[in-house]
Amino acid sequence: MHLLQPQLHSRRAFLRRSGQLALSGTALPFALNLAAMGEAAAFDATDYKALVCVFFYGGNDYANTVVTYDDPSYNAYSTIRGGGAGQTAGGIALAKADLAATLLNPTTALAGGRQYALHPSMGGLAGLFNAGQAAVQLNVGPLVVPLTRAQYNSSDRKTYPLPPKLFSHNDQQSIWQSSSPEGSTIGWGGNIGDLALSSNSTSLFTCINVTGNAVFLSGDSALSYQVSSGGGAVAINSVKNNVYGSSAVKSAMSALVQQSRSHTLENEYNKVTARSIGAEVQVTSGLAGVTLATPFPTGNSLADQLKTVARLIGARNALGTRRQVFMVSIGGFDLHDNLIAQHPGVLGKVSDALSAFYKATVELGVANKVTAFTASDFGRTLASNGDGSDHGWGSHHLMVGGAVKGKAFYGTPPPVSVGSTAAANDQWHVGQGRLLPSTSVDQYAATLAKWFGVADSELTGILPNVGRFGVAAGRPDYPVNLGFMG
Amino acid sequence: MLATEEHETNDHALAEPDMARAGSASLAAAALLAACGGGGGGGDAAGAGSAAVASAAPLPAAASASGLAYAYPLPASDEDAARFLLQAQFSASDADIAAVRSKGYAPWLAEQMRAPAAQTGFDWLNSRGYAVVDNTARYYDNSYPGDYMVWNQLMTSPDATRKRMALALSEFFVVSSSGIDVSWRSHAIAAWWDLLAANAFGNYRTLLEGVTLNAAMGYYLNTKGNMKENAATGRAPDENYGREVMQLFTIGLNQLNLDGTEKRDASGNKLDSYTQSDVTNIARLFTGWDFDQTQNVNTLEPIQNRTIPNTAFTRLPMRLTAANHSTLASNFLGASVAAGTDGVAALKAALDTLFNHANVGPFLGKQMIQRLVTSNPSPAYVARVAGVFNNNGAGVRGDLAAMFTAVLLDDEARGPAGLGQSGFGKLREPMVRLVQWGRTFGISSARGSWKIGDLSNPATQLGQNPLRSPSVFNFFRPGYVPPSTALSASQTPAPEFQLVNESSVGGYLNYLQGVVRSGIFVNAPDVPNNASNAANGYDITAAYTAELALVLDAAALVKRLNLLLCAGQLSAANQTLIINALNATPLTATSTDGARRDRIAAGVLLVMASADYLIQK
Repeated sequence: MHLLQPQLHSRRAFLRRSGQLALSGTALPFALNLAAMGEAAAFDATDYKALVCVFFYGGNDYANTVVTYDDPSYNAYSTIRGGGAGQTAGGIALAKADLAATLLNPTTALAGGRQYALHPSMGGLAGLFNAGQAAVQLNVGPLVVPLTRAQYNSSDRKTYPLPPKLFSHNDQQSIWQSSSPEGSTIGWGGNIGDLALSSNSTSLFTCINVTGNAVFLSGDSALSYQVSSGGGAVAINSVKNNVYGSSAVKSAMSALVQQSRSHTLENEYNKVTARSIGAEVQVTSGLAGVTLATPFPTGNSLADQLKTVARLIGARNALGTRRQVFMVSIGGFDLHDNLIAQHPGVLGKVSDALSAFYKATVELGVANKVTAFTASDFGRTLASNGDGSDHGWGSHHLMVGGAVKGKAFYGTPPPVSVGSTAAANDQWHVGQGRLLPSTSVDQYAATLAKWFGVADSELTGILPNVGRFGVAAGRPDYPVNLGFMG
Repeated sequence: MLATEEHETNDHALAEPDMARAGSASLAAAALLAACGGGGGGGDAAGAGSAAVASAAPLPAAASASGLAYAYPLPASDEDAARFLLQAQFSASDADIAAVRSKGYAPWLAEQMRAPAAQTGFDWLNSRGYAVVDNTARYYDNSYPGDYMVWNQLMTSPDATRKRMALALSEFFVVSSSGIDVSWRSHAIAAWWDLLAANAFGNYRTLLEGVTLNAAMGYYLNTKGNMKENAATGRAPDENYGREVMQLFTIGLNQLNLDGTEKRDASGNKLDSYTQSDVTNIARLFTGWDFDQTQNVNTLEPIQNRTIPNTAFTRLPMRLTAANHSTLASNFLGASVAAGTDGVAALKAALDTLFNHANVGPFLGKQMIQRLVTSNPSPAYVARVAGVFNNNGAGVRGDLAAMFTAVLLDDEARGPAGLGQSGFGKLREPMVRLVQWGRTFGISSARGSWKIGDLSNPATQLGQNPLRSPSVFNFFRPGYVPPSTALSASQTPAPEFQLVNESSVGGYLNYLQGVVRSGIFVNAPDVPNNASNAANGYDITAAYTAELALVLDAAALVKRLNLLLCAGQLSAANQTLIINALNATPLTATSTDGARRDRIAAGVLLVMASADYLIQK
């Protein structure tokens, strides 16, 4: 009953959409095409798996999150960001000594002696990395095709198409989530969810959003179902209980807010309400059976959201789900100013919340079945604007969970540079240290999707963008499977 | 020069230069820009600048002066009048309906636009004691007085049309109280609100300059303290305002036709309206500005041993420090400003270029239609509104009174056709619903506290609070298409639906259920601070005077609610459904006041829960 328009969820619908997409040119919403394989056998598994997207709204400053640590890189970073003499803090540079406790120790050292530490406020995540439960994907961002800086600067947009609306918050949020700018309605989380629908007895709980409306979790068929970060589904009092003492008003309310309407907007509004009423009973009763002892930090909205996710995972059997995609988010990353003052607070919340969440998955016995990963609008400039940084492109991201091949870096460490010369070191940013991604979001998504149960043949066969990456495309330097999942 | 000029955002007696003067200022600005574009730059901006900063009041005849002829000058019914009133302000009273019916739409609207601006939010804060340096309440560190301020303004200001347009503008030019982390943040957000209200019927160019130099905006988008480049350290100017002023406040991402549709190249691709290079270049023009603290009077706060300034800086336009202004040349959007141009002239060149860009009319006009009338206006409707923005009929570009008039009087807004289309209209915003409830039913604060706090929680409250957008991208995007709906198949935007999800639909109904029956519970209504005390209670309530007078007749009550809340758009079937539900609990002449209020609240709750009401058509 929760599956809207199941007729769209078919190979025929896929072919029709593909035809439309082919006409639209660049920036094909790769995830859209995943939806076409909704009946795919890949997801008829009997085990449980969940993906959790942790979105940093505002565009995270990559350079002070996964911080260069080896002396040559650190010194270059410090010079660019106005650090003090003797590797001390200054401008928007962190002191090297403050990074020692969060130094990342990969099993295999990076080439060229490159080293990274996490921001000093991220002790929990550094611990998970070093214990093998977290990994870092370096310099990932939206790409339509692999690009060099010269190709980025080329006027030949047919051969070297760019993701649309680079550096714009809302559009890049949408592109990270869906490959399309603002107005997009289908995200890759939702499309992975589409594939999973058939394995869940209650399809509504396939894609669950614990944050504001976001396109990531909306599939062609899969709906993004919203729960409150306060701990579950919101019950509508006037539908459940007598209103001002009247059962007749309660009945009228129940009928009124769920009735079908001929006006499109009226009808869509009531559909959401009807869904809310139907699902609340199930969610509330499912959550009632869940005990979770793991302490979560308080005063941390991301922790509240992740605690709700953990409890919903705990209720997976009651909710009839075997594959779920969750989205949570935290804002406050658009630090054009006050980067040094405010970044520690948000990164500390991320680290504390994800650490608690990982422990909760251990308690629930699903640590190897749940993978959290980070995403953000974009990275920021390496260059300083005085006390902050501006909108960029590529960024570093984290994957956390028992199934992550942790204690490792994936991708290529970008040179620490803001120069605009022909030198090799200046080829991995597009000005002011805005990283030119050396890994695409498509590859990042494909790696997670493959772990989730999407077959290689499905990925390479139906993802136009992924088809421009990887061995088959003659680009082994842009592998379709980044290898960070076990 | 601009930095020392007064903004009359707090002055009841607003300057009212006539249209011709505003027009000549705009033309002069354009002429100066041409001079700058010729490579000169550095010209004296005083003449045009001073006129541009003055608040322009509208001429009542702006609508007819625009040359547009309207097919529906007079409401044919009370329902027509109410429909108009619910777009042009927050509520429809019996008196309003009678006035619109007797005067006609255009004269009534012109009268509202001409009416003097009411008390400012800034003055209200001061009248309530929120400017006092209080070591315990620390109003200078708190944003809750700002919430009380804006709710009070929305619920009670007599100049409701001005406030409705200001609220619409606050969703285009966005500053969020949640992102203002400076001393006297409530005063800063009040000065911001007052700026929008003061200029709602003025000229867009004036407003744009006020927005750019406003202290709250300066903090929010980092123009405050934005420094010129430093080659030695590699520091570059902050790009935030430069980017967002283009993306959100003036021209948008894509080149537009007059009718709001996107221009396309030969291959059918949309055309960007600016590049990263434009952002980097225009950012230089916004350097050198900071709070104007020349009128500071400082008080030593002994507990924290902290110096607290007075509130003056929050309403002064930011001030230029020449030494911090970029000395580089700037080439953006086809204009150029020579190296070494002084900061005031550079700012003027930036704003004039943006103001004169062909995108502004359709970009702003379409979004104002979306806020006030319908999510998906026809291209022709957008073109008519944009045309009036471009020229109000007297040669003036950017006349907001004329633009809003064109939005509200357009045949598409006024005619009956929309009422029969299944996609016409828009979702009423939650904050507008609450204001409508308050104004319709005689809201008052017994002790004058007006302590309506932040209602942003979607699970327990409205999920929306005026001046508290989560980011500069407003509560929702103009292009938001609700996923997994009939709208997504046709890529039809419904911006307000970005607030709609399985949590927020219930949070709204639960919040409303308590409020419509009991009013709004507040802490300590007897004092300004928000500490709990023995006076806690339902200080803010609706009188329901007219409704109590006819409460024994459920059908009459629902008829009235249908007119005032829905402009008659409640379906016959749902009227019957609600009447029957109310009659299930019989009332007689001896019924208690409580029972009577239960019936009224039930009727209001049911109507305001109905999709007929929620979608304003």
